[in-house]
Amino acid sequence: MRIVHYLNQFFGGVGGEERADISPQVREGALGPGRLLEQLLPGAQVVSTVVAGDNYAAERLDELKAAVLAQVRDAGAELFVAGPCFEAGRYGVAAGALCAAVQAELGIPAVTAMARENPGVDLYRQALHIVDSGTNAAAMREVVQKMLAVAQKLARHEALGKPAEEGYIPRGVLRDEFVEETAAQRLVKMLYAKTVGEPHESEFTAASFPPIPAPAPVADLSRATVAIVTDGGLVPRGNPDKIAPSAATNWGAYDITGLSDLRGQDYEVSHRGYDTRYVEQDPDRLVPVDALRELEKEGVVGKVYQRFISTSGLANPLANSRRLGREIAQKLKEEKVDAVILVSA
Amino acid sequence: MSAAGGLVMRLTLEIHPVTEMRVGDATALQGTALSLEREELRRSLLEDQRLHAVDLEIVAPGEACRFGVVFDILEPRAKEPGAGSDFPGILDPITTAGRGLTHVLRGAAVTVIDETAPPATGKIVEMSGPAGAACPYAGLHHLIVVPHLQPGLSRPTVRHALRLASVKTAVHLARAALGQEPASTEVLETAGPLETERRGLPRLAYIGQVHSRQMVAEVNEQIFYGANTDGMVPTLLHPNEWLDGAVVAGYFNMGVETYFYQNHPVILELYRWHQERRITFVGAIATVAASDNEDRARNCMMAAQQAKWALGADGVVLTKYGGGAPHADMALTARICEELGMRTAVQVNDMSRDRSAESALLFNYPEVDAIVYTGGSDTEWAAPAVARAIAGSGTAAEALAAPQQLAATRVCGVTSQQGMARLRSFVY
Repeated sequence: MRIVHYLNQFFGGVGGEERADISPQVREGALGPGRLLEQLLPGAQVVSTVVAGDNYAAERLDELKAAVLAQVRDAGAELFVAGPCFEAGRYGVAAGALCAAVQAELGIPAVTAMARENPGVDLYRQALHIVDSGTNAAAMREVVQKMLAVAQKLARHEALGKPAEEGYIPRGVLRDEFVEETAAQRLVKMLYAKTVGEPHESEFTAASFPPIPAPAPVADLSRATVAIVTDGGLVPRGNPDKIAPSAATNWGAYDITGLSDLRGQDYEVSHRGYDTRYVEQDPDRLVPVDALRELEKEGVVGKVYQRFISTSGLANPLANSRRLGREIAQKLKEEKVDAVILVSA
Repeated sequence: MSAAGGLVMRLTLEIHPVTEMRVGDATALQGTALSLEREELRRSLLEDQRLHAVDLEIVAPGEACRFGVVFDILEPRAKEPGAGSDFPGILDPITTAGRGLTHVLRGAAVTVIDETAPPATGKIVEMSGPAGAACPYAGLHHLIVVPHLQPGLSRPTVRHALRLASVKTAVHLARAALGQEPASTEVLETAGPLETERRGLPRLAYIGQVHSRQMVAEVNEQIFYGANTDGMVPTLLHPNEWLDGAVVAGYFNMGVETYFYQNHPVILELYRWHQERRITFVGAIATVAASDNEDRARNCMMAAQQAKWALGADGVVLTKYGGGAPHADMALTARICEELGMRTAVQVNDMSRDRSAESALLFNYPEVDAIVYTGGSDTEWAAPAVARAIAGSGTAAEALAAPQQLAATRVCGVTSQQGMARLRSFVY
């Protein structure tokens, strides 16, 4: 198997932090950890090794990518390997980017390894099978062994097993499988272990999300333009934007100029996750135009934005929700809206 | 047994295995063969003026047969005369369920078809092939009841009629076992918090949702001892009451059938550990998922409080009902339980449409860290044409018989929310 290998300046034997600026250099044959690749996999040949400095990689990633892609192509490589990177952050980010590029643009299997804490993991875990290297560079041999096992399966287009079995960091993709025990049996077993203080293994670990900082308070509500945004699926009768009742991929902005009350006969609800009858009777229950108009009259709020914005929040994948949120925020920003009342279903 | 002063919560199930079901001159159980005289049952069901006709079909395990839309599936059971009510609050006056003798036709099921439900997305049972192998109802002998309703009835009225037909049929069939020698007997008994002779064993409880107010219960939607749960707060419900007809499936019943209340996988598993003296099963609490924040806060608090101070639980299994939102109620209840010093395990049902782990959980409490994850979103079968399909109408049956993709979530029991699911999602 013909391999092109990427190393940073340190593992490439060029030097430490003082050489972190070096531009990509192509060496024939294996270097450092690359020799293990050849030792551990009969028939493996590291055709060439690309070495670049960590700072160069961080600052000029596009140029590095181009150099590596050219080298992988020219060398007729059947596999691209980067690292292992352990905890080295710039190295991990570069290795992830290079593997992702090789895989996507050349269709050649690519494998890297990092510690779970490496910032490259969060960036590329979904795109790649990143072997869990742990933090100890002394375990180099075992890590390379795992990388080769994963790489061979990728090269043969073989389905990889579970992360723990294969040694890669979970990519965050769910797959169904039938198991012997019912959920009830698993529940009681897990609860018993947890209750008596034995180790228990949850079938799912909550994802961690960065906290969303609360925005600064509205300085003067009496001069603010206020908009209503809902994920409760209220749409004009006929659902002109065809907003799906579950996992909606779009949103609509609906005019309320001159309206101080929404009438049930003019609207419908596109949402399958709650009992919509009460909103259909009186849409102000979800989109409180009536109350907001009164506050506008009293001068509590400056102005009600002339449209309400609506989508359906039911069972929506996060990636989609994020996009919808960004688009809606962008629109409101352009329209000079100062404050938003978010009404959930 | 003195723990409860002589008035014990002991449910005795007399098990009559059914290995064959057929039409006959009389409704009777001969050995393990159940014969059904259809006219008698039909007359009884047609006493309900809302029905104008009833079809009755029998399906055996392994048959190339598909049926739906399933309104509900029940195990035929009947109380020994004098031992209490059958489906108290629905069929019979309210008496405490879960005590005394109940006759069970094990291996048999009564399945009621809803002719008014949209056929393309409704729940079905598949008796053969790979989808059948995954369906926990495929191994049963089904009596399929297809009630045909008078025109012009409202949806809730239709479903109320189906509910009545379902329990009547289940009891009618099981009465064939009265006076017969059972093949085996199961005794289910716990004095719950009053158990005194089991010191040192972990005290485990169950908190289960029996309804979700995502879809507000209809006035005639009989879920809990005949009531629709409107205004219901968390309620201690002895495990035997769950098993013996106090709870039936509501109308919005994703992954829930009455059969697995009668054979509740979580309750029976806790009982198994209890009987093996590894734990003390201290009891169960029925609750509902709220549709507003105050209800949610109140319900979750009260359920956890009862588990702690009425049951004295050390650990609690929690399951949910309905769709996505009830995860929030389940997880908040679990969190409060943890705060009160009880350990918890929860069952999550797959909601991640894009199969990403980040979209999977609808809660995020570090202490709720024992999660059983049931799958379903990306499992489906290319089901072949079947020789026989049973549905609400001829055209619906024809459509159902055709080859089609069957999503796991459509096949009854595969993505059970009652603890029966063997389909799990793994993170890759």
